Amino acid sequence: MFFALTEDQQEFGAAVRGYLAERFDLAAVRGVVEDAVNDPGGDGNPATLWKAAGEQGWLAVTVPEEFDGLGLGLVEAQVIARALGAGVAPGPWRGTVLAAEAIRLAGSDEQKAAWLPRLAAAEAVGALASSDALAAVEYGAIADVVVTPGGRLVTGASSTPRGSYDGTVRLADLTGGEVQELAGPVEAEIRARAAVLAAADLVGVAREALTRTVAYDRERRQFGVPVGSFQAIKHALADLHCTVTMAEHAVLYAAHAVEVGAEDAELAVAVAKAKAGDAAVASTGAMIQYHGGIGYTWEHEAHLFYKRAKRLAGQWGDSATHRARIAELTMGG
Amino acid sequence: MDLSYTAAEEEFRAELRAWLAANVPGEWRRPGFWASLPEDESFALRRDWERAKAEAGFAGIQWPVEYGGRGGTPGMKAIYDAEMVLADAPRTVNPLGLTFLAPTVMAIGTDAQKKEIIGPMLRNEVIWCQGFSEPGAGSDLAALSCRGVRDGDDFVVNGQKVWTTNAVHGDKIFAMVRTDPGSQRHRGISMLLIDMHQPGVDARPLKQMSGASEFGEVFFTDARVPATEVLGDIDDGWRTAMLLLSFERGASGISQYTEFRRQYDAIVDLARKLGRHTDPVLRDRLARVLTDLECLRLHSMHVLTQVEQGRDLGFEASMTKLIWSETFQDLWEVYDDLLGEAATLDDIEGVDLRPLHAQALWSRSVTIWGGSSQVQRNVTAERVLGLPR
Repeated sequence: MFFALTEDQQEFGAAVRGYLAERFDLAAVRGVVEDAVNDPGGDGNPATLWKAAGEQGWLAVTVPEEFDGLGLGLVEAQVIARALGAGVAPGPWRGTVLAAEAIRLAGSDEQKAAWLPRLAAAEAVGALASSDALAAVEYGAIADVVVTPGGRLVTGASSTPRGSYDGTVRLADLTGGEVQELAGPVEAEIRARAAVLAAADLVGVAREALTRTVAYDRERRQFGVPVGSFQAIKHALADLHCTVTMAEHAVLYAAHAVEVGAEDAELAVAVAKAKAGDAAVASTGAMIQYHGGIGYTWEHEAHLFYKRAKRLAGQWGDSATHRARIAELTMGG
Repeated sequence: MDLSYTAAEEEFRAELRAWLAANVPGEWRRPGFWASLPEDESFALRRDWERAKAEAGFAGIQWPVEYGGRGGTPGMKAIYDAEMVLADAPRTVNPLGLTFLAPTVMAIGTDAQKKEIIGPMLRNEVIWCQGFSEPGAGSDLAALSCRGVRDGDDFVVNGQKVWTTNAVHGDKIFAMVRTDPGSQRHRGISMLLIDMHQPGVDARPLKQMSGASEFGEVFFTDARVPATEVLGDIDDGWRTAMLLLSFERGASGISQYTEFRRQYDAIVDLARKLGRHTDPVLRDRLARVLTDLECLRLHSMHVLTQVEQGRDLGFEASMTKLIWSETFQDLWEVYDDLLGEAATLDDIEGVDLRPLHAQALWSRSVTIWGGSSQVQRNVTAERVLGLPR
């Protein structure tokens, strides 16, 4: 029995976190968020971060070696997603990885050869739209290739920016362009992977929000003592620690289950997305609450985490939708 | 990631499964069978069955062979726990001894204690009680006042223990007793191994809200125990107790998942029978519980992995206790709510609800015993998250 990350997988995550801490910290994130207020049409993809994603293999993670990728799997991808969530990092990493996954799973040989090496090397930006309507596509404006769960591969679409209160992303509605079909069906497989990676980002957000809140409440004094010494706060944070830890387990297992095609993969994905979404919304809400007034200010970082949690909790099926699926799978109709 | 068991572990599973299939009588699987027996009869039946199981080699799975164990792996123990649930095998009658006392004796007991305690316990010749809680010392164990005064080669013990599992069936009790007169809090306590069959020990049953009497209270009135019958050092019982409680950190979560998942399925069946299974609110609540049950399964795989890697789980055990007990209680709250106005009835639509009610009532206890949820949250907040005391 080995249900854990290997040392290599842990190091991969530590490297991403280390890079963000040194080279793209919350001050840099804030710069991207402020830009969104001034210019929602801006590309929201800092060049340094995108270059690093290409050079350090974050984008190549699931691309097969024959297409210049690392040939790793969804377990490694969720390690990266978690680290990017913890750093509330902007940029089209997830869309690019998922576009590559859709093409790897269902693309023709030509499509694979055309796109996988470029997506892996940060030479092309990819996006996975939630449907063929191509509405509010993440980084749609700068995507060189947009894939849909319905199996379309779109290039050269025109874009109209869509505003979002989460400034760590840029969204656009897309129209037109050249539409190809992938060679085979991809819907179930790609939705599962998209849900897992969104859930992984969410647990990264949730854990970081909790860690920062604990650190603050250890120091912040009221009534002559640290507020973290009050049981009203301790018990809430202890419960959150349990919730976030369970969400981490659920995401890790879902990534593995999808990767190996486990019998219970569909249930595992629903459990992971429902648990991670709830954990992140609860944890980031607590981050605001247990910082007191400062937590509600623009100046404080709590809203960066909270808004990202809100966005991703609703994507690729919100918690209620996944629970409805869990009920179908375990209770029948 | 490798979620499989080894070939040797799977072989063990097959062997155990075959033995259980041949040795758990069919009628024991009937819901409500155990509740239909008088408590003494049920206890005696289980005590004898468990002895036969031990003689067949299915006890002390993970214990060294030299102590009468099977010398198995943590994975075999996890398999054992789960297979016992799947076979509807009765629960052990010696839980405190097997889970807590035996591993502590193996770790710090004298050679004589290892010999005298472990073998007889495996064969159920001695049923062990745990004497920790007192009327004035529940969550605050260090407030205990049961005292032992040195008299020649013995301690003379006076005081009371409460919430003692198997009190009326117990042969011996490992009890936390203040042996240094005038000592405060954690100091001056010894863990004494007291013979319960003596005039100075009076064990009385306590009736629980479910109507059962699995626990009781134990009164000591000039009870005598030789001063050599101490586990660990005299006046160093707090350290012994902390070591003893650390043995709760096993991989029992896998069997809990197995058991709770069957209960979930039984509740779903009942919902269908009552035509409530299409209610979207109920479905959402059941799905929430199922989500947490799946997380419990994964957490137990995580714990087993850590154990196999030889890592110390430390205070993570508090989280484990919190999640399984709270999830179990949540599950049975959904059950109560699905019954509506039949919530307290003995039967509905020809279904005998009493065995289910017994579980639902029992679910109120699990967030108290073994460290209440509030204590576990304190431990998690202070020892895991590092929040100030």
